[in-house]
Amino acid sequence: MTGIAASNLVLKRNGATLLDDVSLTLAARESVAVIGPNGAGKSTLLKVLAGIEASTSGRVRIGDRDLASLSSAARARAIGFLPQYFDPHWDLTVGELVRLGAERGERLPEDAIEKMGDQFELVGLGHRRWSTLSGGERARVLLAAVLVVDPPALLADEPAASLDIRHRLDVIEALAQRGRDRLSVVVVHDLDLAFGFFDRVILMARGRIVADEPAHRLIDDPRLDTTFGVRFDRLKTPDGVLLRATKERL
Amino acid sequence: MKIWLGLGLVLAVALVVAACAGHDWASPADLMRAVAGDMDLRSRLLFEWRIPRVLAAAFVGGLLGLGGTVFQGVFRNPLAEPYLLGSAGGAALGATFALLVPLAAPQALVLPLLAFAGAWGATVLVIGISRVSGAVDAAGMLLAGVAVAAILGALRSFFMLALSDETVSLQVVLSWVLGGVQTPTWAGLGLLTVIAIVCLGLTMLLAGRLDILGLGETMATAFGLNVNRFIAVAVLAGSVVVAAAVAFGGLVAFVGLAAPHIARWLVGPLHRPLLPASALVGAIIVTLADAIARSALPPAEIPLGLVTAVAGGPFFILLLARRLRT
Repeated sequence: MTGIAASNLVLKRNGATLLDDVSLTLAARESVAVIGPNGAGKSTLLKVLAGIEASTSGRVRIGDRDLASLSSAARARAIGFLPQYFDPHWDLTVGELVRLGAERGERLPEDAIEKMGDQFELVGLGHRRWSTLSGGERARVLLAAVLVVDPPALLADEPAASLDIRHRLDVIEALAQRGRDRLSVVVVHDLDLAFGFFDRVILMARGRIVADEPAHRLIDDPRLDTTFGVRFDRLKTPDGVLLRATKERL
Repeated sequence: MKIWLGLGLVLAVALVVAACAGHDWASPADLMRAVAGDMDLRSRLLFEWRIPRVLAAAFVGGLLGLGGTVFQGVFRNPLAEPYLLGSAGGAALGATFALLVPLAAPQALVLPLLAFAGAWGATVLVIGISRVSGAVDAAGMLLAGVAVAAILGALRSFFMLALSDETVSLQVVLSWVLGGVQTPTWAGLGLLTVIAIVCLGLTMLLAGRLDILGLGETMATAFGLNVNRFIAVAVLAGSVVVAAAVAFGGLVAFVGLAAPHIARWLVGPLHRPLLPASALVGAIIVTLADAIARSALPPAEIPLGLVTAVAGGPFFILLLARRLRT
């Protein structure tokens, strides 16, 4: 099984401390949302966990191996990473992009690419070039390219932030559902989506983990208000609690 | 498939036209006679001089196309070009040194080696400068390249003035620096053929990883590419290709820029088809440009680099303008 465990991660760059002694354990099967104000270190944490950036100190283990000891190729098969911002330099087609994602896989089933096409509604888009795609189509293509090798762990950095509400729901739901039989860690900006779809929520601020709780418990936690610097009204609805922020000094 | 047949056909026609062209125009029938082994003087001249020259021009063009594609892929910048990024200038400095300084080893060996060292050193210098100054983007890299190219050009001019004497005329170095395919012997042409095939094979080994790198450094890393190591390897390979092109063809501007662009229009941006297509397009361009260089102002010969610069400069300006507008 491939859970991820990080211990005492510190990342300093140009005198700024981006990660300040972060430790956490992620199980092989769970859906985790990472939330926090801008500059909290959410993206940086994800990149370090994915092995894309090296920490100044501390270590990351995946399964029973040190992440740094894995070859680049093995790491890329074990961890899928969905960046916040993706803009390929060459105007590739949808099919070419998904195939590039599939090239890092080992012994993929023959219909792996086709299955991605079905799952992410890409049928018929194969020959379209990236520059001609809408935001929603781009997000689905990127998901297909990252998930085509079916990585045991997925780390996704606000992949739906710029999408319209329907596509945002689609993407977040797909990512959270992946946590049923895989590890799925997602940086989420929309707090209601984070608490509504994910089992566990990690709250970050200034490079540290402030709170790490099951979603239903953290939503009532006053640390949520202090960390974001607002007052949240917890609105009870039949579908659960919704948060409404009010700008008010605490 | 149609595109490959088309490119092959255009190259074949370009080769025949170029072999006919010169201050003494030949007909295709003359060419046939020369190739068939006719012993008359005119046929011998065609066979010993013009045909090898035309084929060498095609190979140099192919190498320039490959080099340009590798550099554009590594820098992920469609404006990257060996000539602009200083690597061709570095190769020229190395080669000038080899031409002017009497060294113990034979020139046929020293010239390509020094050209390679110069090309590689200049490219590493440009990457280093843009990394240190934090300007790894397109503009930063180009500016660093232009600066390095200017410095290398000045050094080269200094060497040319300081080291040339009666034994090595400045004229020889100058005509070579301005870009000019040297007429090889048939053995030399054989060597060039081998070099070109090796360069094609070498760059094709990079093709898949150049595609991945084109996704951006973050995604490339996420897809399992060791980005820094690959860039170092690819720059090394690109420098080998540029050095080979410079060693046989001097400084030929803008072909390395234009050929990959035209090829991308034809076969798309994936590097496996792009590399051979760029080589073919580059071969076609230089074959025709060299024919113009030889035949436009008889009996004089215009340096090849001037022909490609006059034709390629506007192409570059057009690309730059289109890019700035978006």
